[in-house]
Amino acid sequence: MSENEAWEPKIVAIVCNWCTYAGADLAGISRIQYPPNVRIIRTPCTGRINPFYIVKALQQGADGVLVSGCHPGECHYLTGNLSARRKFAMLKRFLNYLGLEADRTIFTWVSASEGERFANVIRGVTEKVRKLGPATKLVKSL
Amino acid sequence: MENIEKKMREEARRLLEEKRVDVLIGYEAGTLPLTATPCFITAPEEAERLVWNRFCNHNLAKYVHDVISQHRNSQKRVKPEDRKKKVVGVVARGCTTRSIVIHLQERQYGRDEVVIIGVPCTGYADRRKVSQALGGEAVLEGALEGDVIRAVTEGGEKKIAVADVLADNCRTCRFNNPIISDVMAGEAAPPMNPEAEYDEVTAFENLPIEERWAYFVKEMGKCIRCYACRQACPSCYCPVCFVEQSRPAWVGISDDPSDTQVFQIMRLYHMVGRCVDCGSCVSVCPMGVDLRKFLKKLDKDAFELFQNRAGSSLEDLPPLSRHRENDNEDFIYHPEIGGHNT
Ligand code: SF4
Ligand code: SF4
Ligand code: FES
Repeated sequence: MSENEAWEPKIVAIVCNWCTYAGADLAGISRIQYPPNVRIIRTPCTGRINPFYIVKALQQGADGVLVSGCHPGECHYLTGNLSARRKFAMLKRFLNYLGLEADRTIFTWVSASEGERFANVIRGVTEKVRKLGPATKLVKSL
Repeated sequence: MENIEKKMREEARRLLEEKRVDVLIGYEAGTLPLTATPCFITAPEEAERLVWNRFCNHNLAKYVHDVISQHRNSQKRVKPEDRKKKVVGVVARGCTTRSIVIHLQERQYGRDEVVIIGVPCTGYADRRKVSQALGGEAVLEGALEGDVIRAVTEGGEKKIAVADVLADNCRTCRFNNPIISDVMAGEAAPPMNPEAEYDEVTAFENLPIEERWAYFVKEMGKCIRCYACRQACPSCYCPVCFVEQSRPAWVGISDDPSDTQVFQIMRLYHMVGRCVDCGSCVSVCPMGVDLRKFLKKLDKDAFELFQNRAGSSLEDLPPLSRHRENDNEDFIYHPEIGGHNT
């Protein structure tokens, strides 16, 4: 299908301002190449990310959603990422239980000094989502 | 059960006589046979109206919250020094007290604003199962005789054992005795069958992913978005529910199936650590959506990951309002190892 050949995964990355966003910046400044499939949304902290955002992104047609923030112990609001970790542990299992592929929602940590890791994460996630193909479940037909 | 009912009435009467409560919430006989309905009484003589039987299926914590929050709102226009406290008495079985525990933990009201008449519980009859057992025929007359329901329909008289029509949540209930109470109406009830609590969830987990999705789509396809489940849920008490929020609008209201699915995912998900499996949503749903299949999963995971069972103790705070440094991290993606283990 020609349409499918042209298909490129669309990934929404919801990241915290202090670590992962800075890590993405560093990847850029260091001219590290990574796939252009990701749209970054900057939030103050992973603790600020309402799990509804993820569900909503999937409904709006994201093929994958990535959430990333500071490593545990390094959150700039001290424990925002620790609360987030609990919410996402539950969410990921739940979405998978309902029948959504586990690889469509990915959670990780990337610090401000990890430009290379950021690029690796994007590469890895893009590959995973590419393997799954375009999202069909939960997607709103507009 | 008759003894419990008698004791419950006595306690209710006493609380009202001694003016320890302003209003008492309990159950009375419904207008149709084989039903019970919530009632609000304020005078000691009215205690005779109260019933406690297998048809008391409502989680009365919902009304405790309603009454107290409405009263509090009404006091906002009163000078602080003239404000009055309203104390609500409530007849509460295991799951009702768990919901009250959640309200207390979420600081919806104080422990001194509610007086709990604890009732040991042996489960209620699922009205859908009863109707099925009667072949869908309307009940003209009915009564409970011990653990047997006697129902008269056009087709004649039928007897149904309560055990055969027990609600699914009651069958595997772990906390059928009150978690907290001020007075108890009777001795503790024998345990139900909590070992089987997650059987259904485990079976569902083991289905292929496409079958799980197909089931979810099918169930949510029945939903007409009447929000009865939310209205009945003691944990759904937000003054403005996300469903009605319009900036941003979390959920669309089109007839695209995804709008309903998203509504359901959001409502189900925010029951993490807050669903006590009282069966209220299931029993009010006009379309028979299998909500419990999904809610029970959240309960199972919260226990596996955080050793928490919603509302099971006042000290054990809700799982999403606390955290530990060494919480489970299996699901975190690490590009070096190319994955995570979920
Ligand atoms: S869930 Fe438990 S406490 Fe609640 S009605 Fe059923 S048996 Fe009673
Ligand atoms: S009560 Fe049933 S039909 Fe109504 S909104 Fe809830 S799940 Fe949907
Ligand atoms: S500031 Fe980065 S996760 Fe909290």
